[in-house]
Amino acid sequence: MRYVRLFGTQLRRSLALALQYRLDFVTSGLVSIVWSVISIVPLYVAFHGRPAVGGWSYESALVVFGWFTLLKGVLEGAVNPSLVQVVDHIRMGTLDFVLLKPADAQFLVSTARFEPWKIVDLGVAIAIFGYAFARLGHPPSAAAVALAFAMLCAAVAVLYSVWILVVAAAFWVVRVDNLVYLFDSVFDFARWPSSVFKGAFSILFTFVIPLALMTTFPAQALLGTLAPGTAIAAVVASLLAAIGARRVWLRALAHYTSASS
Amino acid sequence: MAQPPAIEVRSLSKVFRVHERAPGLRAAVASLFRRTYKEVTAVDDLSLSIAPGERVGFLGPNGAGKTTTLKVLAGLIHPTSGHVRVAGHVPQRRETAFLESIALVMGQKQQLLWDLPPVETFALNRAIYDVPQDVFAQRLAELDDLLGLRAVSGKPTRQLSLGERMKCELAAALLHGPRVLFLDEPTIGLDVAMQLAVREFLRAYADRTGATLILTSHYMDDVVALCPRVVVIDKGRLRYDGDLRTLSRTVRPDKRIAMRLRADGPAPDRAAIERLGEVVELEATRAVIQVPQEGVRDAIAQLFASHDVADLTVEDPPLEEVMRELFASTGDARAASPGDGPRA
Repeated sequence: MRYVRLFGTQLRRSLALALQYRLDFVTSGLVSIVWSVISIVPLYVAFHGRPAVGGWSYESALVVFGWFTLLKGVLEGAVNPSLVQVVDHIRMGTLDFVLLKPADAQFLVSTARFEPWKIVDLGVAIAIFGYAFARLGHPPSAAAVALAFAMLCAAVAVLYSVWILVVAAAFWVVRVDNLVYLFDSVFDFARWPSSVFKGAFSILFTFVIPLALMTTFPAQALLGTLAPGTAIAAVVASLLAAIGARRVWLRALAHYTSASS
Repeated sequence: MAQPPAIEVRSLSKVFRVHERAPGLRAAVASLFRRTYKEVTAVDDLSLSIAPGERVGFLGPNGAGKTTTLKVLAGLIHPTSGHVRVAGHVPQRRETAFLESIALVMGQKQQLLWDLPPVETFALNRAIYDVPQDVFAQRLAELDDLLGLRAVSGKPTRQLSLGERMKCELAAALLHGPRVLFLDEPTIGLDVAMQLAVREFLRAYADRTGATLILTSHYMDDVVALCPRVVVIDKGRLRYDGDLRTLSRTVRPDKRIAMRLRADGPAPDRAAIERLGEVVELEATRAVIQVPQEGVRDAIAQLFASHDVADLTVEDPPLEEVMRELFASTGDARAASPGDGPRA
């Protein structure tokens, strides 16, 4: 209960921060909308009016892209801003203040900052789903939506865990800016259905950096083509990822030496 | 029965492993492949005990281990060895009850949210520490009373002066009513008036709440004004623990006599003054000499006899000089002998 309240406070604070600078608020909203629209172009070029690529028609690939947009919104709106701050905290030694607080440090740093405008991505994602299913001619079943939601939760858990691992690395090596960029660019591949990738890439994006789990599985769930075994494996994998990330985080904290005054 | 100590430290040591390389590009490239590490002992076998409500100043040159000690006490750094208890807790476990009973204020780091007014930080801390709304309002009013926050706490932090920011930092750190207060150079960079204000605030706060206070500062005035007891740390080791006056007298047993002469009277007699003690300062109407403690009486009598004295004061040498002398004599048994700092 206390953490729910705390979460609310943190959210309000992020909103206050976003509203602090009016011009910035308006421009970041515009940028969010424009980017979401522009990013459809490569997909249109690759899939529209062609036979299925890797078993994916234009419409079903659009569903994957919808999930990618949504997850990108989650990443840039709720995960990324907070965790990038942690890296600065570690370098400057201001993580001290977080560790002095009588609340879970991982919770505090993970909820420190949100970008409210990224909610636009959610709207764009829903519009893409609507368009794709309109072209397909039938809406997803209620069970498919429920399964897709479960897959979304698994995807967010994995995404968050990977980020925590990146941030935890900062406790040892201090500067991880490039690791952050690397992750961002790898994540970009998640806009394509995973079966488009072959060989080594397929293995890399399924097991090492589970992009398939992040966007392809939820899309398959919504389309009603996800095998139950895969769904269960995804949930288990996401739980393991979350537990692993938590353990690494705790170990990293013990390694914290604080920057000198 | 005596109260249990607020802070108990036994044989505390902290060793850091630091990466080391020679200057220059070649060494920088080499260090990419092969890193050499060396161990630095920041705190070395430190023991001390502080009673509830005590105000203690940590003194020592830069890199002496003061901040490291504070951070171990606050639970931020795990000690390499030794036992530490603060307010009945082992700090490194970071238990909620422990964290709620302490506060750490760092003059060189800030917790205030840069782009938002300090009131936002206050509200956030209220939520984190779970302070009831009415208690929060009352504490804020008290702090406002002592610090005059109202005028500044609504402006964005980045628009505040350093002094205003420090006031708000103090308020943000104290809103949860900590019983043990760690202050790491709280007055650094502040102008004299603001230093005085912060000092007065800390004293009033400690008196009002009975909080235990540990302070490190480079401004000796802070320590003189706030801390009856000082702990001197040098190269991670305890050099002195006891009362400030005793420290000053042990290191510099001399006294300073400052004399002002009447403007219309004769000039000071240099030869006569030099016979009494070491001349620190000598001008047309003013002289400062340093004499051994036991010679003060005689010297004053002779000064009055030989000069037209308008005013005369006897003082201890400035604490800065005492410290300089203390740290210059590293390894000198005089300052560290156990008899200097009798602690019960």
